[in-house]
Amino acid sequence: MAEADATAILPAMPLSNRDLAYRMQLQFLVEQFYYAEAAALDQRRYDDWLALFTDDVHYWMPVRRTRTSNELDQEFTAPGAVAYFDDTKAMLATRVRKLQTGYSWAEDPPSRTRHLITNVQILDEHDDGFDVISNFHVYRTRLNSEEDSWIGHREDVLRRHGASFLIANRKIFLEQTVLLARNLSNFF
Amino acid sequence: MHAPNGIDYRSLVDLEHGTVDRRIFFADDIYETELGRIFARAWNFMCHESQIPNPGDFFLNFIGEDSVIATRDRDGNLQVLLNTCRHRGNAVCRAELGHATSFMCTYHGWTYDLEGKLIGVPGYKNFYHEELKREEWGLVKAAKVESYKGFVFATMDPTAPPLDEYLGEVGRLGLSMVAAHGDVAVVDGIQKYRIGCNWKLAVDNLFDWYHVQVSHASSLAAGYIRRPPWTSMDHIVALGEYGHAIGGPRLTREMREELARQQSTTDSPYMDESWRDRPEAQAQLGAFGVESRGHPNIFPNLWIASSGTQLSLRLPRGPGSTEIWWFTILDRDMPPELRKSAIMRANHTFGPAGMLEQDDGENWDQSTRAARGMVGRRYPLNFSMNLGHGTIRHEPSGLAHIDTNISEHAQLWTYRAWTEWMAAEDWDTLRRNHSIPNGTV
Repeated sequence: MAEADATAILPAMPLSNRDLAYRMQLQFLVEQFYYAEAAALDQRRYDDWLALFTDDVHYWMPVRRTRTSNELDQEFTAPGAVAYFDDTKAMLATRVRKLQTGYSWAEDPPSRTRHLITNVQILDEHDDGFDVISNFHVYRTRLNSEEDSWIGHREDVLRRHGASFLIANRKIFLEQTVLLARNLSNFF
Repeated sequence: MHAPNGIDYRSLVDLEHGTVDRRIFFADDIYETELGRIFARAWNFMCHESQIPNPGDFFLNFIGEDSVIATRDRDGNLQVLLNTCRHRGNAVCRAELGHATSFMCTYHGWTYDLEGKLIGVPGYKNFYHEELKREEWGLVKAAKVESYKGFVFATMDPTAPPLDEYLGEVGRLGLSMVAAHGDVAVVDGIQKYRIGCNWKLAVDNLFDWYHVQVSHASSLAAGYIRRPPWTSMDHIVALGEYGHAIGGPRLTREMREELARQQSTTDSPYMDESWRDRPEAQAQLGAFGVESRGHPNIFPNLWIASSGTQLSLRLPRGPGSTEIWWFTILDRDMPPELRKSAIMRANHTFGPAGMLEQDDGENWDQSTRAARGMVGRRYPLNFSMNLGHGTIRHEPSGLAHIDTNISEHAQLWTYRAWTEWMAAEDWDTLRRNHSIPNGTV
């Protein structure tokens, strides 16, 4: 048997026209950006978090369904159909205002969350930004004994913004069909 | 009448004082009885016909905790099949929705057609010696499957009354509030999530216009929901046999016009009520229905929400857990911009991330937990709002209703019907011994 070519199962290295130093620097900057975003959420600095999005952002979490393998192309709902999040910047701002009223009861007393961001891959480079995918684990405890855990991945379009980035598009895909938490009163 | 477990169900709801015993929100034996005497007996909502337009299309739903497959056979007839192989009991369908030509059990390969007939048994000749009576080992089928204006319901009880009689004026009006929008179809995507509450607390809340100003105060303050034109002092509650009800504000023509003006001047979510003024809608709804902005519940657990553009099921998952499902259902001929706005409202308002609903679950969860308290359970819950002040009037159609301010008539009516369902041994008893809305409540 011929020896398998280990590199054949890998996609073409993204940004392969760029040198390694450039790619490592970019990877570092994107990861630091995501860590800062996660910290803003976990510290409930929602205005800081909101400032990380472009004015024309679409923030979207479709509905996922258990489908047979031959219908897996319809596992997620399409844009324009039913979704859990389907937000413009204005809608995200409304959600943040709600959280800041002091009587947004699902978050008062506030939940404790920790956002872990991993497997960051910069897939493509545009004139003004990048396509980036990342995995997340959002862990939440609430009141005395409630515990929720969401794992999934995000597909972002990041736009260059000075030395950092803004999120111009975010798609969030959860590894659940029936959501097992009583609400989604937090962000991903 | 005492049930086999010795509980006098009628004593659990005090109609004179408007109180409800908290045992009904956590006791295991009561919950087991509910699965048998309510869910296995009632007409349960399965799906809308638009979800399964072609033979072989299927949608998985539940009757209580029993998984059922709603599908269409080769002749296009609606079928509801219990999703459990007759050999070892494994599920024969595992996807939530999709298309199939037959249902094969993945354990030993027993295979059933779209009518539930057992058509394939590996080893039928060599292992079973052709002695297995395949005609007796088809999937268990719903005793009756019927559709009203495209809404498919099924009952597991062959003695249940026809769907039309079961729904009565109130149930039919509830479904007509959806159908009257036009040629309606379910939008792709059913939101599903779990709350740690008893299912009845989630049902009781759908009639609750009292909690909005407190539970959802943050959404009001954040500017998500505008102050509606209706008033808390002019509500109408319709009560139907077997526990169906509609509760909520009166929506006058002036209010509809006011909403239309607001819609044209803001980018707030779809709040259009002008569909009620179309002659076809008025013919379906009647004068009462046109003015009812209330929330219908088809007993036990189907809420018609968002002025007939959404449906929500509250599915029991044990005494302390409920699965909430949201269907969005819209007129296929809606102008694209209005349709987009209606889907946005659905996506942003209800469901687990909904601006309103994210704050509901914790209330019901805590209510369920507290009911378990050895001391807490001794104190009943209070449903006395407007008790003794509700005069039931009848429309020429026979529809019974109360003109009131915000009240708890619909909730108490639901719990009253619950006791009657739980006390009745069978459908014949329930038919004889259930409340007819009359007098003052």
